[in-house]
Amino acid sequence: MPLNHVDFMEIFIAILTYFAYIFIVVAYTVKIVKYLKLPIHLRWELYPVIHEDAYHYGGSCFENTNWWEKPRKIRNIKGFLWLLKDYFTLHDYLKQNLFYWLGLYPWHIGFIFIITFHILCFFGALFMVSGISISHNSQDILGIIIYYAILFTGVLSFISGAIGSIIILINRVIDKNLKTYASPLQFLTYIFTLIVFLSGLYSWYYVDPKLEEYREFWVGLLTFNFIGVETATMVHIILFDLFLIYLPFTRSLHYITRFFAFFLIRWDDKPNIRGGDMEKRIAGQFENRINWSGPHIITGKSWREQ
Amino acid sequence: MDILDLGKDIDVLVNIEPEDLIPLPYPYDDPANEPLIKKLTDDQKKRYEASLDGVIAIGIPKPTTKEEEETFVRRFLSGLEKLLSLENNWTFLQPLYHSLEYCVKCQLCNDACPAYIASGRKEIYRPTYRPEILRRIINKYIKKKHPSLLKLTGSDIELNWQLVARLGELAYRCTLCRKCAQVCPLGVDNGLISHEIRKIFSQEMGIAPKELHESGTMQQLKTGSSTGITPKALANIIEFMEEEIEEKTGKKIKIPVDKEGADILLIHNAGEFISWPENTMAFAIIFDAAHIDWTLSSDLAGYDAVNYGVWYDDIQLARIARRHAEIARALKVKKINVGECGHAHKAMIVVADRVLTGELNIPRESALPILADIVLNDRIKLDPSRNNFPVTLHDPCNMVRLMGIVEPQRQILRKICPQFREMEPHGVDNYCCGGGSGFAIMQSMNFPDWRSVVSGRIKLKQILEVFQDVISVDTKKYVCAPCSNCKGQIRDLFAFYNVFERCNILYGGLVELIVNAMVDIKKPFIEWEWR
Repeated sequence: MPLNHVDFMEIFIAILTYFAYIFIVVAYTVKIVKYLKLPIHLRWELYPVIHEDAYHYGGSCFENTNWWEKPRKIRNIKGFLWLLKDYFTLHDYLKQNLFYWLGLYPWHIGFIFIITFHILCFFGALFMVSGISISHNSQDILGIIIYYAILFTGVLSFISGAIGSIIILINRVIDKNLKTYASPLQFLTYIFTLIVFLSGLYSWYYVDPKLEEYREFWVGLLTFNFIGVETATMVHIILFDLFLIYLPFTRSLHYITRFFAFFLIRWDDKPNIRGGDMEKRIAGQFENRINWSGPHIITGKSWREQ
Repeated sequence: MDILDLGKDIDVLVNIEPEDLIPLPYPYDDPANEPLIKKLTDDQKKRYEASLDGVIAIGIPKPTTKEEEETFVRRFLSGLEKLLSLENNWTFLQPLYHSLEYCVKCQLCNDACPAYIASGRKEIYRPTYRPEILRRIINKYIKKKHPSLLKLTGSDIELNWQLVARLGELAYRCTLCRKCAQVCPLGVDNGLISHEIRKIFSQEMGIAPKELHESGTMQQLKTGSSTGITPKALANIIEFMEEEIEEKTGKKIKIPVDKEGADILLIHNAGEFISWPENTMAFAIIFDAAHIDWTLSSDLAGYDAVNYGVWYDDIQLARIARRHAEIARALKVKKINVGECGHAHKAMIVVADRVLTGELNIPRESALPILADIVLNDRIKLDPSRNNFPVTLHDPCNMVRLMGIVEPQRQILRKICPQFREMEPHGVDNYCCGGGSGFAIMQSMNFPDWRSVVSGRIKLKQILEVFQDVISVDTKKYVCAPCSNCKGQIRDLFAFYNVFERCNILYGGLVELIVNAMVDIKKPFIEWEWR
């Protein structure tokens, strides 16, 4: 028997959603692995370095005589929390370009909360599958918390993201500094994200004020018992899936690579100790053959043989 | 100006006009009296690429045939490919990859760039401009993306010899101060891009400023110093220093040379021996008075701490760093101390850390902490009233933002200079002197004028501002710059604007101020005259 329209769409969104999530995870993983597999580089840190005792004024261990004899204290958690906190403030932008921040901040808050919203929908669905009701009058406190968290993150992300997309688009058009370097793809991205956020907003306001359909849709995905949703919700789900597929083609991974850049480059002051692991890694790099053709270079010989 | 103009047949892309420059404080507040950048002669313009901003730093000869033009572009692309390969560029591949891939072009770094700001925001000096050009070239010619994708991602570019030559020159309009990188929330380093472009030109095309390569690293490795000082000449200089010390201070000091097993091998920027011998003498006086077990080296390159490779060529960087370490190993010293030279600090202590392996991994440190230890712990007797004139401190980028040595020099100045005052901003947020990354020693054609008018302008502004309340010639003032290249730049900057005559501001190092305050030296060590 041929599939009717609804059946087809149910299966289509389900497959698209599975694919979108798998795609983004795989694509991001490939990119991250590629980044992390890049060889150890020469030291190129910039001060202040977060784990230094004198971080508050940008000081370093080099301010001491015989600095190599002092114990080296590394508190990665401090750097991690500093970076994490900045995601929620975008402090540098606020300090240096308020106009830009006014668009960038709600736009990023939109991203952070729309991802959180979908993760919460997933967990909400998991709870539902395990018998916990998700509603404002649920018997289970967890059900009430999840209910309001989904509602809060969803609505906040739709509103904030839509406002942010509009302002940042305007910023890029009217600020000459930004416009000169903006590509057509960047404008398309802003328009696309605006549509994604607006579709969510429309769906919430006109169709699904409790955002129940998303949870039920996720229950369907988890149990392989796909369900149909209202057209507006369906449109938002499709757009969000496409957005997930699109993300790896943008510079969006900066959310993660920023951590690498700070820990592996900007704050990387790990000294090379005689006989240590790093020395072994460096020695390996020294065996690479150089193909540079400058007249002062012995082309074809290794770094060690130069 | 459009981004793509870089490849267009235009006489000069950007003209530096006095009215565009950021204003300077009194007594330089009248743009009508602004000294101009010398115009190039017709012959210079005919022979060398000078169409970027009418200034020549490298002096790239113009190709005479179509084939030469094509070869030039081909070699650039071949170098770019190598720059992106693990074998040829493991040294900086990860930072380069990050900066190429994850800049969102928010332009937050713009206001951090002294050249961009000082020039009146000329597009070509914008910190994101060079990376934008390089990214487009990579997308089109290395990654070979589809034309429609290039249009969509704004990667349109047409490569020709002029664009490549201008890009090469442009890599020498950034002082690698990395203030732009410091303000980037995403960890992108646009200064590094300039560094990497320079590497393509040197390591693949054999093109680099003469002062950095031919008479710089090559000469250092061959004859012992970029200054041309040979081991034999050094012996004469040391003899001269000992005589001078006796004449100036009455102290009879035997400067230790090649002393095996000394605690410290002190390596100066050899430029000090020639241009500012009082600096090397001051070190000798202080170390002698504090009973430090130290030595100089007379071995080839062992008496010149400079490592210009750090600015333009990784292979040269590694060769010189290993040479320095080999000398220290042969002398069996406990550690190397780097004198007042910023880039030598950064190159020898930090960047070369991952070049020196095994027995070459000799402990290396800055001379500033040991000087602070001597001064703060009263290991020599000092009288601060001898330095009772306004003093400010210039922070060399390499020591401060790039190494985190911020306080020792300040602790010394607070103790021995009653009228010490800070410029704004200072510390790790400082501005470059304008002579960073080799600029201070590059004397090509009208380039020194450019670094006075443009790259050094913010520093001059800061210096004039900090002394504004005592700006008249009646008050003598001192800019302490504990770095040879910064001193060279400040010397040229002051000479260009006649600062010593008009404002009575002298520049010099840190150790000179320490010796000037030593109670057992009768005459002032600092001679208040222009040099």
